[in-house]
Amino acid sequence: MRPRVYLIVFLLLIPLQASLFTPLSLGGAAPDLGLAVLYSIGLLTGPIEGAFAGVAIGLLLDMGSASMLGFSGFTRGVVGLFTGLLGRRVLDIQSPSNIIFLFVISLADSLFSALFLEITYGSVPVFGLFFGRALLRAATTAAAGYGILRFITEKRIVTWIRRRELQKEL
Amino acid sequence: MPGFFEKNRKYIAMLALFLLLFWLVTIQVKAGRFTVLETPVLAVSGFFERIIFGSYHAVFSVGRGYVFLVRTERENLRLKNELGRLQLENQITNELLAENERLRTLLGFKKLNPPASVVVQIIGKESSPSSSTITVNKGSSSGIGRDHAVITPDGIVGRIQAVLPGTSRVQLITDPGSTVAVRVQRNREEGLLEGKLDRCALKYVSYYVDIQEGDLLVTSGLDGIYPKGLPVAVVTKVRKHEASSFQTVYADPVVRISRIEESLVLLK
Repeated sequence: MRPRVYLIVFLLLIPLQASLFTPLSLGGAAPDLGLAVLYSIGLLTGPIEGAFAGVAIGLLLDMGSASMLGFSGFTRGVVGLFTGLLGRRVLDIQSPSNIIFLFVISLADSLFSALFLEITYGSVPVFGLFFGRALLRAATTAAAGYGILRFITEKRIVTWIRRRELQKEL
Repeated sequence: MPGFFEKNRKYIAMLALFLLLFWLVTIQVKAGRFTVLETPVLAVSGFFERIIFGSYHAVFSVGRGYVFLVRTERENLRLKNELGRLQLENQITNELLAENERLRTLLGFKKLNPPASVVVQIIGKESSPSSSTITVNKGSSSGIGRDHAVITPDGIVGRIQAVLPGTSRVQLITDPGSTVAVRVQRNREEGLLEGKLDRCALKYVSYYVDIQEGDLLVTSGLDGIYPKGLPVAVVTKVRKHEASSFQTVYADPVVRISRIEESLVLLK
């Protein structure tokens, strides 16, 4: 994918999430823009680039928050790898089933984070977080992710994003 | 064998990167959080957050102005009543404060000076499954520094985690890495309140300590960050562990963090 696209993603991901998406949260749960964007990158590029993009996005989120450096890098790297495999073998970028996959991935991400925090710090209300926050978060993230995929497909942004690979293939 | 490595070079690099990240996290569990590149990331994200926040408010404040005009008269009346009540309360509090000061002087205590504060606007709220932070629109140029307390009239919000001249990041009390030294207001029992994302928990409280649902937890001042006596959280659940000598106490912050738009930073 074009380096320019990555630059835009890295520059605007945290500000857009913090200033626009989180204040518009639904029941205290905002869509996870980083996950939604990463899902699209994974589907468009494949497992290797998806994984590296996931690690980079995750590390950026770690540095821009109070979480441990490398934690989101690790989880988002796995998500990028998985979505890359998914895109290469199973899924079409325009398929509505992307909503379900992104919903499940977001749930797994939240659950893994809650379990990690429980193991590290203890007394984390895992079930309360799962039903109170993770489900809503997964639903809003899935909707945002599907919106992004529809947008980049309909506006032919995919062609612009992937011009370099298409040129190579030709 | 070299052919295998050559062929799967990218996958091996990816695996090595994952192992490195995993190792990095395990180190931080014991040694504490690394703050590499925190300031440059805050500088870039803070710059764009200001622009997005400014544009967003410029657009929505126009429409909102008309909508809220209808409620203004009713709100004005309510606020006048509230002002009258608060003025009365303020007079009583001033009397008590003066009396307290006199008594403290008699007892030879250090004179209490309320800390200076700066009003800040929240320009960004992070939404991550593993941490809770917000970004505010003022920084070191307004006198704000690391570990300064962030409060609202209702209670404490968090502490300054990273500072730049015009932007600061606040670690909320619900963040898993946050700890606040607190005291149960009713019986003065002490404890450490940890963030648990949506709520907080008092850990390692002795089984025999009397804590009940509805108890208000206030800052004890022992952590050196928050001044003594500020409301922090209300106890919502007490779980006694039969097998151990501890009980786990869950508490909800008194400040509705998702709703705050402005807050105060206490300057030390």
